[in-house]
Amino acid sequence: MLFALLTGTLALSPIVQADTTLNAVRGQRLDVNAYAGEVTVHAWNRNAVRIVASGADQDQLEISSSATAISIRTHGRHGPPDEITLQISAPAWIAISMGGVNTNAKIEGIRAPISVETVEGEVDVTGGESLISLRSVQGSVRLRGAKGRINVNSVNEDVEVANSSGDIAAQTVNGEILLQGVNASSVDANTVNGDISYSGPIRSGGRYALSTHNGDLTLTVPEGTSAGVTVSTFSGDFESEFPVPLRGTRKGKGFNFTLGSGSAQVTLESFQGTIQLVRPGSEEDPARRKREHDRDHDED
Amino acid sequence: MTQDPWTNRLSEYLDGELPEWERHALESHLESCAECSLVVSDLRRVVRRARTLKNPPPVTDLWPGIAARIGAGIPKAQDVVDLDAQRRVRRQWAFSLPQLAAAGIALMTVSGGAVWFMSGAARQSVVSAPVPSSPPESTPAVSVAMKPNASQSYAAAVADLERVLADGRGKLDTTTVRIIEQNLAAIDRAIAEAQRALDADSANLYLNTHLAETMRRKLDLLRQAAALVPVS
Repeated sequence: MLFALLTGTLALSPIVQADTTLNAVRGQRLDVNAYAGEVTVHAWNRNAVRIVASGADQDQLEISSSATAISIRTHGRHGPPDEITLQISAPAWIAISMGGVNTNAKIEGIRAPISVETVEGEVDVTGGESLISLRSVQGSVRLRGAKGRINVNSVNEDVEVANSSGDIAAQTVNGEILLQGVNASSVDANTVNGDISYSGPIRSGGRYALSTHNGDLTLTVPEGTSAGVTVSTFSGDFESEFPVPLRGTRKGKGFNFTLGSGSAQVTLESFQGTIQLVRPGSEEDPARRKREHDRDHDED
Repeated sequence: MTQDPWTNRLSEYLDGELPEWERHALESHLESCAECSLVVSDLRRVVRRARTLKNPPPVTDLWPGIAARIGAGIPKAQDVVDLDAQRRVRRQWAFSLPQLAAAGIALMTVSGGAVWFMSGAARQSVVSAPVPSSPPESTPAVSVAMKPNASQSYAAAVADLERVLADGRGKLDTTTVRIIEQNLAAIDRAIAEAQRALDADSANLYLNTHLAETMRRKLDLLRQAAALVPVS
Protein backbone atom coordinates (compact mmCIF):
# COMPACT_ATOMS: atom_id res chain seq x y z
CA MET A 1 0.00 0.00 0.00
CA LEU A 2 2.78 2.37 0.95
CA PHE A 3 4.45 1.65 -2.38
CA ALA A 4 1.24 2.31 -4.25
CA LEU A 5 0.92 5.66 -2.54
CA LEU A 6 4.50 6.50 -3.39
CA THR A 7 4.13 5.54 -7.03
CA GLY A 8 0.92 7.51 -7.24
CA THR A 9 2.74 10.56 -5.96
CA LEU A 10 5.46 10.09 -8.50
CA ALA A 11 2.90 10.09 -11.25
CA LEU A 12 1.73 13.52 -10.20
CA SER A 13 5.18 15.02 -9.95
CA PRO A 14 7.42 14.17 -12.89
CA ILE A 15 11.05 13.62 -12.10
CA VAL A 16 13.68 15.28 -14.26
CA GLN A 17 17.11 13.81 -13.66
CA ALA A 18 19.98 12.54 -15.73
CA ASP A 19 20.25 9.38 -13.68
CA THR A 20 17.12 8.08 -12.01
CA THR A 21 16.23 4.74 -10.48
CA LEU A 22 12.65 3.77 -9.68
CA ASN A 23 11.40 0.68 -7.93
CA ALA A 24 9.45 -1.66 -10.18
CA VAL A 25 6.75 -4.08 -9.10
CA ARG A 26 5.32 -6.98 -11.07
CA GLY A 27 2.36 -5.84 -13.09
CA GLN A 28 4.01 -2.64 -14.14
CA ARG A 29 5.16 -2.17 -17.70
CA LEU A 30 7.80 0.11 -19.12
CA ASP A 31 6.55 2.75 -21.55
CA VAL A 32 9.18 4.64 -23.50
CA ASN A 33 8.36 7.36 -25.98
CA ALA A 34 11.42 9.09 -27.34
CA TYR A 35 11.03 11.24 -30.44
CA ALA A 36 14.63 10.94 -31.59
CA GLY A 37 17.86 9.35 -30.52
CA GLU A 38 19.05 6.04 -29.16
CA VAL A 39 17.21 3.96 -26.61
CA THR A 40 18.89 0.92 -25.11
CA VAL A 41 17.27 -1.39 -22.59
CA HIS A 42 19.28 -4.05 -20.76
CA ALA A 43 17.85 -6.56 -18.36
CA TRP A 44 19.36 -6.65 -14.89
CA ASN A 45 18.66 -8.54 -11.69
CA ARG A 46 17.08 -5.78 -9.66
CA ASN A 47 13.36 -5.05 -9.36
CA ALA A 48 14.00 -1.49 -10.40
CA VAL A 49 14.33 0.61 -13.51
CA ARG A 50 17.35 2.83 -13.91
CA ILE A 51 17.31 5.55 -16.56
CA VAL A 52 20.48 7.30 -17.61
CA ALA A 53 19.77 10.10 -20.06
CA SER A 54 22.15 12.27 -22.02
CA GLY A 55 22.25 14.49 -25.05
CA ALA A 56 19.10 16.52 -24.64
CA ASP A 57 17.90 19.35 -22.48
CA GLN A 58 16.85 17.63 -19.28
CA ASP A 59 13.64 19.67 -19.28
CA GLN A 60 12.56 17.69 -22.30
CA LEU A 61 12.56 14.43 -20.37
CA GLU A 62 9.69 13.31 -18.22
CA ILE A 63 9.78 10.21 -16.07
CA SER A 64 6.83 9.05 -14.06
CA SER A 65 5.61 5.96 -12.29
CA SER A 66 2.13 4.68 -11.57
CA ALA A 67 0.71 1.40 -10.35
CA THR A 68 0.63 0.07 -13.91
CA ALA A 69 3.58 1.66 -15.68
CA ILE A 70 6.88 3.40 -15.51
CA SER A 71 6.79 5.99 -18.24
CA ILE A 72 9.65 7.78 -19.92
CA ARG A 73 8.93 10.35 -22.59
CA THR A 74 10.53 13.26 -24.33
CA HIS A 75 8.62 16.39 -25.30
CA GLY A 76 9.61 19.64 -26.97
CA ARG A 77 8.38 23.04 -25.94
CA HIS A 78 8.69 24.61 -29.36
CA GLY A 79 8.83 21.89 -31.98
CA PRO A 80 10.07 18.33 -31.83
CA PRO A 81 12.25 17.21 -28.92
CA ASP A 82 16.01 16.99 -29.36
CA GLU A 83 17.81 13.72 -29.84
CA ILE A 84 18.36 11.89 -26.62
CA THR A 85 20.33 8.88 -25.53
CA LEU A 86 18.57 6.71 -23.01
CA GLN A 87 20.27 3.80 -21.33
CA ILE A 88 17.76 1.87 -19.34
CA SER A 89 18.26 -1.07 -17.02
CA ALA A 90 15.11 -3.00 -16.24
CA PRO A 91 14.03 -6.31 -14.72
CA ALA A 92 13.70 -9.11 -17.24
CA TRP A 93 10.05 -9.64 -16.34
CA ILE A 94 8.88 -6.16 -17.31
CA ALA A 95 6.86 -5.75 -20.49
CA ILE A 96 8.10 -2.99 -22.76
CA SER A 97 6.21 -0.65 -25.04
CA MET A 98 8.42 1.70 -27.00
CA GLY A 99 7.59 4.34 -29.59
CA GLY A 100 9.60 6.87 -31.51
CA VAL A 101 10.12 8.65 -34.81
CA ASN A 102 13.85 9.10 -35.44
CA THR A 103 14.67 6.55 -32.80
CA ASN A 104 16.91 3.51 -32.81
CA ALA A 105 15.81 0.88 -30.32
CA LYS A 106 17.95 -1.85 -28.82
CA ILE A 107 16.59 -4.23 -26.20
CA GLU A 108 18.42 -7.13 -24.61
CA GLY A 109 17.51 -9.81 -22.14
CA ILE A 110 13.85 -9.05 -21.52
CA ARG A 111 11.64 -12.12 -21.02
CA ALA A 112 8.25 -10.45 -21.38
CA PRO A 113 6.10 -8.92 -24.12
CA ILE A 114 7.83 -6.28 -26.22
CA SER A 115 6.31 -3.76 -28.59
CA VAL A 116 8.45 -1.31 -30.55
CA GLU A 117 7.35 1.14 -33.23
CA THR A 118 9.64 3.61 -34.91
CA VAL A 119 9.68 5.43 -38.22
CA GLU A 120 13.25 6.23 -39.17
CA GLY A 121 15.13 4.03 -36.78
CA GLU A 122 16.43 0.52 -36.54
CA VAL A 123 15.02 -2.05 -34.15
CA ASP A 124 17.34 -4.65 -32.62
CA VAL A 125 15.93 -6.96 -29.97
CA THR A 126 17.41 -9.96 -28.24
CA GLY A 127 14.82 -11.71 -26.11
CA GLY A 128 11.11 -11.19 -25.65
CA GLU A 129 8.35 -13.60 -24.72
CA SER A 130 4.63 -13.95 -25.34
CA LEU A 131 3.71 -11.13 -27.71
CA ILE A 132 6.56 -9.50 -29.61
CA SER A 133 5.72 -6.79 -32.12
CA LEU A 134 8.51 -4.83 -33.79
CA ARG A 135 7.87 -2.27 -36.52
CA SER A 136 9.87 0.28 -38.43
CA VAL A 137 9.19 2.15 -41.64
CA GLN A 138 12.67 3.07 -42.78
CA GLY A 139 14.83 0.94 -40.55
CA SER A 140 15.69 -2.72 -40.38
CA VAL A 141 14.14 -4.99 -37.78
CA ARG A 142 16.19 -7.70 -36.12
CA LEU A 143 15.01 -10.16 -33.51
CA ARG A 144 16.91 -12.97 -31.82
CA GLY A 145 16.17 -15.34 -28.99
CA ALA A 146 12.45 -14.61 -28.79
CA LYS A 147 9.67 -16.97 -27.83
CA GLY A 148 5.98 -16.46 -28.52
CA ARG A 149 3.81 -14.76 -31.12
CA ILE A 150 6.21 -12.74 -33.19
CA ASN A 151 5.24 -9.96 -35.54
CA VAL A 152 8.08 -8.17 -37.28
CA ASN A 153 7.46 -5.53 -39.87
CA SER A 154 9.45 -3.04 -41.90
CA VAL A 155 8.68 -1.13 -45.06
CA ASN A 156 11.97 -0.22 -46.66
CA GLU A 157 14.52 -2.47 -44.99
CA ASP A 158 15.30 -6.06 -44.11
CA VAL A 159 13.60 -8.11 -41.45
CA GLU A 160 15.50 -10.82 -39.62
CA VAL A 161 14.40 -13.34 -37.02
CA ALA A 162 16.96 -15.77 -35.66
CA ASN A 163 17.05 -18.46 -33.01
CA SER A 164 13.45 -17.84 -32.01
CA SER A 165 10.39 -19.98 -31.52
CA GLY A 166 6.64 -19.54 -31.73
CA ASP A 167 4.37 -18.19 -34.44
CA ILE A 168 6.08 -15.78 -36.80
CA ALA A 169 4.62 -13.14 -39.09
CA ALA A 170 7.23 -11.15 -41.00
CA GLN A 171 6.58 -8.48 -43.57
CA THR A 172 8.43 -5.85 -45.51
CA VAL A 173 7.91 -4.19 -48.88
CA ASN A 174 11.39 -3.38 -50.09
CA GLY A 175 13.69 -5.68 -48.19
CA GLU A 176 14.73 -9.22 -47.48
CA ILE A 177 13.27 -11.52 -44.88
CA LEU A 178 15.67 -13.86 -43.14
CA LEU A 179 14.25 -16.47 -40.80
CA GLN A 180 17.12 -18.50 -39.49
CA GLY A 181 17.26 -21.10 -36.79
CA VAL A 182 13.62 -20.58 -36.02
CA ASN A 183 11.42 -23.24 -34.49
CA ALA A 184 7.93 -22.22 -35.48
CA SER A 185 4.66 -24.00 -36.06
CA SER A 186 3.26 -21.09 -38.04
CA VAL A 187 5.22 -18.83 -40.36
CA ASP A 188 3.87 -16.15 -42.66
CA ALA A 189 6.53 -14.15 -44.48
CA ASN A 190 5.76 -11.69 -47.22
CA THR A 191 7.74 -9.12 -49.18
CA VAL A 192 7.36 -7.39 -52.52
CA ASN A 193 10.95 -6.60 -53.52
CA GLY A 194 13.24 -8.96 -51.72
CA ASP A 195 14.40 -12.47 -51.06
CA ILE A 196 13.06 -14.71 -48.33
CA SER A 197 14.94 -17.48 -46.64
CA TYR A 198 13.80 -19.91 -44.00
CA SER A 199 15.86 -22.39 -42.06
CA GLY A 200 14.63 -24.40 -39.15
CA PRO A 201 12.58 -27.49 -38.46
CA ILE A 202 9.36 -28.00 -40.39
CA ARG A 203 7.14 -29.12 -37.55
CA SER A 204 4.46 -31.74 -37.83
CA GLY A 205 1.13 -29.98 -38.37
CA GLY A 206 2.84 -26.66 -38.93
CA ARG A 207 1.95 -24.11 -41.59
CA TYR A 208 4.59 -22.20 -43.49
CA ALA A 209 3.77 -19.58 -46.11
CA LEU A 210 6.56 -17.64 -47.82
CA SER A 211 5.68 -15.20 -50.58
CA THR A 212 7.58 -12.62 -52.60
CA HIS A 213 6.93 -10.81 -55.85
CA ASN A 214 10.43 -9.80 -57.00
CA GLY A 215 12.76 -12.05 -55.16
CA ASP A 216 14.07 -15.53 -54.55
CA LEU A 217 12.82 -17.96 -51.95
CA THR A 218 15.12 -20.38 -50.21
CA LEU A 219 13.76 -23.02 -47.92
CA THR A 220 16.19 -25.16 -45.99
CA VAL A 221 14.60 -28.56 -45.63
CA PRO A 222 16.02 -30.82 -42.93
CA GLU A 223 16.23 -34.55 -43.53
CA GLY A 224 13.12 -36.37 -42.42
CA THR A 225 10.80 -33.44 -43.06
CA SER A 226 7.15 -34.36 -43.44
CA ALA A 227 5.25 -31.77 -45.42
CA GLY A 228 2.90 -31.16 -48.27
CA VAL A 229 4.57 -28.48 -50.36
CA THR A 230 2.84 -26.15 -52.79
CA VAL A 231 5.04 -24.15 -55.14
CA SER A 232 3.67 -21.35 -57.28
CA THR A 233 5.36 -18.92 -59.61
CA PHE A 234 4.47 -16.98 -62.71
CA SER A 235 7.76 -16.47 -64.50
CA GLY A 236 10.25 -17.75 -61.97
CA ASP A 237 12.12 -21.00 -61.56
CA PHE A 238 12.13 -23.91 -59.21
CA GLU A 239 15.28 -25.69 -58.06
CA SER A 240 15.87 -28.40 -55.52
CA GLU A 241 19.09 -29.87 -54.19
CA PHE A 242 17.34 -33.17 -53.68
CA PRO A 243 14.80 -35.13 -55.69
CA VAL A 244 11.19 -34.21 -55.07
CA PRO A 245 8.28 -36.36 -56.17
CA LEU A 246 6.42 -33.86 -58.36
CA ARG A 247 2.84 -34.91 -58.95
CA GLY A 248 2.50 -32.83 -62.06
CA THR A 249 2.42 -29.32 -63.28
CA ARG A 250 -0.17 -26.92 -64.42
CA LYS A 251 -0.29 -23.75 -66.37
CA GLY A 252 1.29 -20.95 -64.41
CA LYS A 253 4.04 -23.15 -62.99
CA GLY A 254 2.41 -24.67 -59.99
CA PHE A 255 3.74 -27.78 -58.33
CA ASN A 256 2.60 -29.97 -55.50
CA PHE A 257 4.66 -32.58 -53.80
CA THR A 258 4.79 -34.41 -50.54
CA LEU A 259 7.76 -35.08 -48.32
CA GLY A 260 7.32 -37.94 -45.89
CA SER A 261 3.74 -38.26 -44.77
CA GLY A 262 3.02 -34.61 -45.49
CA SER A 263 1.88 -33.54 -42.04
CA ALA A 264 2.96 -29.91 -42.39
CA GLN A 265 1.76 -27.47 -45.03
CA VAL A 266 4.34 -25.41 -46.87
CA THR A 267 3.39 -22.77 -49.43
CA LEU A 268 6.12 -21.16 -51.48
CA GLU A 269 5.29 -18.35 -53.90
CA SER A 270 7.48 -16.12 -56.00
CA PHE A 271 5.94 -14.26 -58.89
CA GLN A 272 9.19 -13.90 -60.81
CA GLY A 273 12.01 -15.25 -58.68
CA THR A 274 13.63 -18.59 -58.07
CA ILE A 275 12.20 -20.94 -55.48
CA GLN A 276 14.89 -23.14 -54.09
CA LEU A 277 14.97 -26.08 -51.70
CA VAL A 278 18.28 -26.77 -50.04
CA ARG A 279 19.69 -29.06 -47.39
CA PRO A 280 21.09 -27.69 -44.14
CA GLY A 281 24.79 -26.93 -44.40
CA SER A 282 24.88 -26.95 -48.19
CA GLU A 283 26.58 -24.14 -50.08
CA GLU A 284 23.22 -22.56 -50.80
CA ASP A 285 21.98 -22.81 -47.22
CA PRO A 286 21.28 -19.18 -46.20
CA ALA A 287 22.35 -19.90 -42.64
CA ARG A 288 25.74 -21.07 -43.84
CA ARG A 289 26.10 -18.17 -46.25
CA LYS A 290 25.23 -15.72 -43.48
CA ARG A 291 27.80 -17.26 -41.16
CA GLU A 292 30.43 -16.95 -43.89
CA HIS A 293 29.38 -13.41 -44.66
CA ASP A 294 29.55 -12.44 -40.99
CA ARG A 295 32.95 -14.09 -40.65
CA ASP A 296 34.29 -12.24 -43.71
CA HIS A 297 32.83 -9.01 -42.34
CA ASP A 298 34.52 -9.55 -38.98
CA GLU A 299 37.88 -10.24 -40.65
CA ASP A 300 37.61 -7.01 -42.60
CA MET B 1 -12.31 -27.99 -72.93
CA THR B 2 -13.98 -30.36 -70.48
CA GLN B 3 -14.02 -29.19 -66.91
CA ASP B 4 -12.89 -31.56 -64.22
CA PRO B 5 -16.14 -32.78 -62.56
CA TRP B 6 -14.54 -32.51 -59.13
CA THR B 7 -13.60 -28.85 -59.45
CA ASN B 8 -16.94 -27.59 -58.20
CA ARG B 9 -16.97 -30.02 -55.28
CA LEU B 10 -13.69 -28.88 -53.72
CA SER B 11 -15.30 -26.23 -51.58
CA GLU B 12 -17.78 -28.74 -50.18
CA TYR B 13 -14.91 -31.09 -49.54
CA LEU B 14 -13.08 -28.48 -47.51
CA ASP B 15 -16.24 -27.74 -45.54
CA GLY B 16 -16.61 -31.43 -44.72
CA GLU B 17 -19.96 -31.53 -46.45
CA LEU B 18 -19.34 -34.40 -48.84
CA PRO B 19 -20.78 -37.82 -48.04
CA GLU B 20 -18.15 -40.27 -46.95
CA TRP B 21 -18.08 -42.20 -50.21
CA GLU B 22 -17.66 -39.01 -52.21
CA ARG B 23 -14.97 -37.77 -49.87
CA HIS B 24 -13.02 -40.98 -50.38
CA ALA B 25 -13.51 -40.77 -54.13
CA LEU B 26 -12.34 -37.18 -54.19
CA GLU B 27 -9.30 -37.95 -52.07
CA SER B 28 -8.39 -40.72 -54.49
CA HIS B 29 -8.82 -38.24 -57.30
CA LEU B 30 -6.57 -35.74 -55.51
CA GLU B 31 -3.81 -38.34 -55.40
CA SER B 32 -3.65 -38.33 -59.17
CA CYS B 33 -4.84 -34.83 -60.12
CA ALA B 34 -2.17 -32.20 -59.56
CA GLU B 35 -4.49 -29.39 -60.60
CA CYS B 36 -7.25 -30.20 -58.10
CA SER B 37 -4.68 -30.86 -55.43
CA LEU B 38 -3.14 -27.47 -56.02
CA VAL B 39 -6.53 -25.78 -55.95
CA VAL B 40 -7.32 -27.46 -52.63
CA SER B 41 -4.05 -26.15 -51.22
CA ASP B 42 -4.83 -22.66 -52.46
CA LEU B 43 -8.35 -22.79 -51.08
CA ARG B 44 -7.11 -23.92 -47.70
CA ARG B 45 -4.75 -20.98 -47.64
CA VAL B 46 -7.45 -18.46 -48.58
CA VAL B 47 -9.78 -19.87 -45.94
CA ARG B 48 -7.03 -19.87 -43.36
CA ARG B 49 -6.25 -16.24 -44.06
CA ALA B 50 -9.90 -15.29 -43.93
CA ARG B 51 -10.21 -16.97 -40.57
CA THR B 52 -7.25 -15.07 -39.17
CA LEU B 53 -8.65 -11.66 -40.02
CA LYS B 54 -8.90 -9.70 -36.86
CA ASN B 55 -12.25 -8.74 -35.44
CA PRO B 56 -11.11 -6.11 -32.97
CA PRO B 57 -13.36 -5.34 -30.03
CA PRO B 58 -14.52 -1.75 -29.55
CA VAL B 59 -12.01 0.44 -27.76
CA THR B 60 -14.69 1.74 -25.43
CA ASP B 61 -17.62 -0.12 -23.94
CA LEU B 62 -20.54 2.10 -24.90
CA TRP B 63 -23.17 0.14 -23.04
CA PRO B 64 -22.89 1.81 -19.60
CA GLY B 65 -23.59 5.23 -21.14
CA ILE B 66 -26.45 3.95 -23.25
CA ALA B 67 -27.92 2.07 -20.29
CA ALA B 68 -27.84 5.19 -18.15
CA ARG B 69 -29.71 7.20 -20.79
CA ILE B 70 -32.44 4.66 -21.41
CA GLY B 71 -32.72 3.66 -17.80
CA ALA B 72 -31.70 0.09 -18.34
CA GLY B 73 -30.06 -1.82 -15.56
CA ILE B 74 -27.14 -4.18 -15.57
CA PRO B 75 -28.23 -7.26 -17.48
CA LYS B 76 -28.41 -10.58 -15.70
CA ALA B 77 -25.87 -13.17 -16.60
CA GLN B 78 -28.46 -15.40 -18.28
CA ASP B 79 -29.57 -12.49 -20.47
CA VAL B 80 -26.13 -11.86 -21.84
CA VAL B 81 -25.33 -13.36 -25.22
CA ASP B 82 -21.71 -14.38 -25.47
CA LEU B 83 -20.78 -12.92 -28.84
CA ASP B 84 -17.31 -14.38 -28.69
CA ALA B 85 -18.80 -17.82 -28.22
CA GLN B 86 -21.11 -17.24 -31.14
CA ARG B 87 -18.20 -16.11 -33.27
CA ARG B 88 -16.35 -19.26 -32.34
CA VAL B 89 -19.07 -21.39 -33.81
CA ARG B 90 -17.58 -22.96 -36.91
CA ARG B 91 -18.16 -20.88 -39.97
CA GLN B 92 -19.18 -22.43 -43.25
CA TRP B 93 -17.09 -21.46 -46.24
CA ALA B 94 -18.82 -22.46 -49.41
CA PHE B 95 -17.74 -20.35 -52.34
CA SER B 96 -16.95 -20.81 -55.97
CA LEU B 97 -13.35 -20.04 -56.89
CA PRO B 98 -14.03 -16.56 -58.32
CA GLN B 99 -16.19 -15.80 -55.28
CA LEU B 100 -13.33 -16.77 -53.01
CA ALA B 101 -10.97 -14.43 -54.78
CA ALA B 102 -13.49 -11.61 -54.54
CA ALA B 103 -14.27 -12.42 -50.93
CA GLY B 104 -10.59 -12.33 -50.13
CA ILE B 105 -10.29 -8.78 -51.41
CA ALA B 106 -13.54 -7.70 -49.76
CA LEU B 107 -12.51 -9.12 -46.40
CA MET B 108 -9.12 -7.49 -46.63
CA THR B 109 -10.68 -4.19 -47.58
CA VAL B 110 -13.23 -4.33 -44.78
CA SER B 111 -10.63 -5.49 -42.30
CA GLY B 112 -8.15 -2.82 -43.30
CA GLY B 113 -10.74 -0.12 -43.58
CA ALA B 114 -12.42 -0.96 -40.29
CA VAL B 115 -9.22 -0.84 -38.32
CA TRP B 116 -8.21 2.40 -39.97
CA PHE B 117 -11.61 3.99 -39.47
CA MET B 118 -11.36 3.24 -35.77
CA SER B 119 -8.42 5.61 -35.43
CA GLY B 120 -9.43 9.11 -34.52
CA ALA B 121 -6.96 10.76 -36.86
CA ALA B 122 -8.24 8.89 -39.84
CA ARG B 123 -11.85 9.54 -38.95
CA GLN B 124 -11.28 13.27 -38.58
CA SER B 125 -9.58 13.49 -41.92
CA VAL B 126 -12.25 11.53 -43.71
CA VAL B 127 -15.08 13.61 -42.34
CA SER B 128 -13.49 16.85 -43.44
CA ALA B 129 -12.41 15.66 -46.86
CA PRO B 130 -14.61 15.81 -49.96
CA VAL B 131 -15.63 12.55 -51.53
CA PRO B 132 -13.91 12.09 -54.90
CA SER B 133 -15.99 11.58 -57.98
CA SER B 134 -13.69 8.86 -59.27
CA PRO B 135 -10.88 6.68 -57.93
CA PRO B 136 -7.36 8.01 -58.38
CA GLU B 137 -5.45 6.94 -61.47
CA SER B 138 -3.01 4.93 -59.40
CA THR B 139 -5.74 2.61 -58.23
CA PRO B 140 -5.20 -0.59 -60.15
CA ALA B 141 -7.73 -2.41 -62.22
CA VAL B 142 -9.09 -5.44 -60.47
CA SER B 143 -9.15 -9.04 -61.53
CA VAL B 144 -11.87 -10.14 -63.83
CA ALA B 145 -12.76 -12.64 -61.11
CA MET B 146 -13.52 -9.92 -58.62
CA LYS B 147 -17.04 -8.82 -57.86
CA PRO B 148 -17.71 -5.16 -58.72
CA ASN B 149 -18.67 -4.24 -55.15
CA ALA B 150 -15.40 -5.65 -53.82
CA SER B 151 -13.52 -3.65 -56.43
CA GLN B 152 -15.38 -0.48 -55.49
CA SER B 153 -14.80 -1.02 -51.77
CA TYR B 154 -11.12 -1.48 -52.38
CA ALA B 155 -10.85 1.57 -54.60
CA ALA B 156 -12.74 3.67 -52.05
CA ALA B 157 -10.55 2.52 -49.17
CA VAL B 158 -7.40 3.24 -51.17
CA ALA B 159 -8.71 6.64 -52.22
CA ASP B 160 -9.59 7.58 -48.63
CA LEU B 161 -6.21 6.60 -47.32
CA GLU B 162 -4.38 8.32 -50.18
CA ARG B 163 -6.32 11.48 -49.41
CA VAL B 164 -5.36 11.32 -45.74
CA LEU B 165 -1.76 10.87 -46.75
CA ALA B 166 -1.89 13.70 -49.28
CA ASP B 167 -3.46 16.04 -46.73
CA GLY B 168 -0.89 15.12 -44.11
CA ARG B 169 2.27 14.94 -46.17
CA GLY B 170 3.31 18.43 -45.05
CA LYS B 171 3.37 17.16 -41.48
CA LEU B 172 5.66 14.25 -42.25
CA ASP B 173 9.39 14.18 -42.73
CA THR B 174 10.21 14.58 -46.42
CA THR B 175 12.40 11.47 -46.40
CA THR B 176 9.60 9.45 -44.88
CA VAL B 177 7.18 10.69 -47.53
CA ARG B 178 9.65 9.81 -50.27
CA ILE B 179 10.21 6.32 -48.87
CA ILE B 180 6.50 5.67 -48.56
CA GLU B 181 5.86 6.88 -52.08
CA GLN B 182 8.66 4.72 -53.47
CA ASN B 183 7.26 1.68 -51.74
CA LEU B 184 3.73 2.41 -52.86
CA ALA B 185 5.07 2.69 -56.41
CA ALA B 186 6.81 -0.66 -56.01
CA ILE B 187 3.57 -2.25 -54.89
CA ASP B 188 1.69 -0.63 -57.75
CA ARG B 189 4.19 -2.10 -60.20
CA ALA B 190 3.72 -5.52 -58.63
CA ILE B 191 -0.06 -5.13 -58.83
CA ALA B 192 0.18 -4.14 -62.49
CA GLU B 193 2.39 -7.13 -63.28
CA ALA B 194 0.08 -9.51 -61.47
CA GLN B 195 -2.89 -7.95 -63.24
CA ARG B 196 -1.29 -8.41 -66.65
CA ALA B 197 -0.48 -12.02 -65.84
CA LEU B 198 -4.03 -12.57 -64.70
CA ASP B 199 -5.42 -11.03 -67.87
CA ALA B 200 -3.72 -13.85 -69.74
CA ASP B 201 -4.77 -16.57 -67.32
CA SER B 202 -7.83 -15.47 -65.40
CA ALA B 203 -8.54 -18.89 -63.90
CA ASN B 204 -5.16 -19.15 -62.23
CA LEU B 205 -5.90 -19.17 -58.52
CA TYR B 206 -2.31 -18.36 -57.58
CA LEU B 207 -2.41 -15.21 -59.67
CA ASN B 208 -5.79 -14.30 -58.18
CA THR B 209 -4.60 -14.73 -54.62
CA HIS B 210 -1.25 -13.09 -55.35
CA LEU B 211 -3.00 -10.05 -56.80
CA ALA B 212 -5.32 -9.94 -53.79
CA GLU B 213 -2.40 -10.21 -51.39
CA THR B 214 -0.46 -7.48 -53.16
CA MET B 215 -3.48 -5.19 -53.12
CA ARG B 216 -3.86 -5.88 -49.42
CA ARG B 217 -0.22 -4.90 -48.97
CA LYS B 218 -0.99 -1.56 -50.54
CA LEU B 219 -3.86 -1.04 -48.12
CA ASP B 220 -1.65 -2.03 -45.21
CA LEU B 221 1.07 0.41 -46.21
CA LEU B 222 -1.38 3.22 -46.83
CA ARG B 223 -2.98 2.58 -43.45
CA GLN B 224 0.41 2.51 -41.78
CA ALA B 225 1.39 5.75 -43.52
CA ALA B 226 -1.89 7.46 -42.66
CA ALA B 227 -1.38 6.56 -39.02
CA LEU B 228 1.94 8.43 -39.08
CA VAL B 229 0.22 11.72 -39.87
CA PRO B 230 0.03 13.64 -36.60
CA VAL B 231 -3.37 14.93 -35.53
CA SER B 232 -3.26 18.72 -35.47
